[in-house]
Amino acid sequence: MDLFMAGLGFGLIAASIMALAAVGFTLQLGVADIFNFSFGAVMTASALAGYEANAAGLNVWLCLPVGAAFGAALSVCLNRAILTPFMHRGAGLFGMVIVTLGLAIVIQNLILAIWGPVYFTYQVDNSSTVRWAGMILTTSQIALAACSAAIMVVLHLLLTKTKLGKAMRATAANADLARTSGIRTSRVNDTVWALSGALCGLGGVAFVINTVSFQAATGTDYLILVVAAAVLGGAGQPYGAMIGALIVGVASEVSATVISPDYKDVVALVILIGVLLVRPRGLMASVDLVQAGGEETIA
Amino acid sequence: MSSAMQFYVSTLLVYAGVYIIAAWGLNLQFGLTGILSFAYILFQSIGAYLAAVFSLGPPASRADVETYAFGANLPFPLPILVAAAGGALLAAVLGPIVLRRLRSDLQAITMLVMSLIATDVISSDQSLLNGATGLSLVPAPLSTVLGLSSLQYQWFFVGMVAVICAIVYFVMNRITSSPLGRALRTVRESERSAAAIGKNVFALRMRAFIVGGAIAAVSGALLVLFIGSWAPGSWLYIETFVLFAAVIIGGSGNNLGVAIGALVVPVGSVEAVQYLPSFGPPGMIDALQWVVIGLLLLLFIWFRPTGLLPERRRYFPVSDLRNGRQAASEADR
Repeated sequence: MDLFMAGLGFGLIAASIMALAAVGFTLQLGVADIFNFSFGAVMTASALAGYEANAAGLNVWLCLPVGAAFGAALSVCLNRAILTPFMHRGAGLFGMVIVTLGLAIVIQNLILAIWGPVYFTYQVDNSSTVRWAGMILTTSQIALAACSAAIMVVLHLLLTKTKLGKAMRATAANADLARTSGIRTSRVNDTVWALSGALCGLGGVAFVINTVSFQAATGTDYLILVVAAAVLGGAGQPYGAMIGALIVGVASEVSATVISPDYKDVVALVILIGVLLVRPRGLMASVDLVQAGGEETIA
Repeated sequence: MSSAMQFYVSTLLVYAGVYIIAAWGLNLQFGLTGILSFAYILFQSIGAYLAAVFSLGPPASRADVETYAFGANLPFPLPILVAAAGGALLAAVLGPIVLRRLRSDLQAITMLVMSLIATDVISSDQSLLNGATGLSLVPAPLSTVLGLSSLQYQWFFVGMVAVICAIVYFVMNRITSSPLGRALRTVRESERSAAAIGKNVFALRMRAFIVGGAIAAVSGALLVLFIGSWAPGSWLYIETFVLFAAVIIGGSGNNLGVAIGALVVPVGSVEAVQYLPSFGPPGMIDALQWVVIGLLLLLFIWFRPTGLLPERRRYFPVSDLRNGRQAASEADR
């Protein structure tokens, strides 16, 4: 039982961090309709921006906004310069998977070529340990979870209470209909990439504050868990992604402590496969991801 | 040629043959039939593992070196045939699960995730196939029987790979130029049209998936018999990406184009580079070659999505079609 509670504690922390990235990923999948494989590489790049700021003397908590800004800027640039042009040139859904995968490999290996195969380590202040109901957490982990929860609340308000949020949800549900109703979908698109890029950057930095060190492939490795959370929640569903992150985060951490750490990722991957095969719409999806295939152009 | 040079050239030739065979299998699945086979490397891997354990002998005989669940000491061509059967079987099992009507990007992700799960499980489980360390010291086929010098044996292996290459090319060519190939292309271009003219889309895809899987397994078997070791690090999902890059850059759907693609991408930019003098900090060349492959693929998708040697356009004049099937299949040729 103690083991279970300890795992649950780690799982809740992992979930709150994962939720940041998963919501960002699902926004891209839903609104921009791109399965963005380079998301993980952008996470690594943002974490690296945070690392450089940290190494220059900035407090590690202030690296979060640095990573967010960097992720937002990089995502908007990548979308404008590469992804949208490829989409307009007729790369189909699968073509975009190949394009973003290629992009991920380029970004990741540029980092590797320039900085070398090293582990980057954040200077995190020593934090005290808090024990509560069998969970053993550090204060910085609790602070991370609190940050994440606050961001989720802000995001919730943005999506439900503002015109922009309404426009985003409308574009995700049906871009053509949204355009006919007078929503400037291209501007909405830019906003979505900035917002999701910021979440991506936050997720990257938060992940590294929790694990302390990272290397060039960390983001891409982590991405699969993020994808599992996003797909489980239903593509394009921010709330679904939050719930998905909760399930994937808790399931993988609890299984790591209860079964074996070796199979931590496998549990998340099996959840992902199960969802894809049994219920590809996810828990909360309204966007139709199931369609008769074969009518797309390849690449 | 000096003997060092001969070693270099013969090794490259074997790699070239192996990658060309692997790219042909993927061309059958993806280029011809349009299956987004993101778990492709699993087929190569199962072929390699099977060929390895069926050359190494029973597990007990090698207990001091490595652990694996099963094995036997089969005479030469059999390990390769067992590998091919294993690849076909894996495709037959995976096919019904993955070839469902998922949105194509999610279908690709499903297979990619399967590939990741397999890597995780095989790496973690020491008893099945020696875990992350992998199998090693796989005996070279016929090396004791032939009694050749190591250099002569290199060239013998080149010859063997060439023969198998020729056989696979013959099979591929038969498939692409036959009515079956035409049906597969129809499935790729429009699943609904294929179904509308009475083709069993699922059965056609399964056929391509299984034959492609067997071909991939043969390439894996040849590779492991040549290099003598195989570990999870040899078949990361990134290797699937390399083969996709080879097929797309060479000319998806065109057998000769794909062979050229295999020479350009895996052989030209991955294997050949290993023998170049190194510069920069360690690992820099590796990283840069991945950057080059990624950029090359993006440039090709942008400027020349049909690849170096595009698939030949096939015309079927209406008058020929009226005259029946015979004329149509001739126009196809």
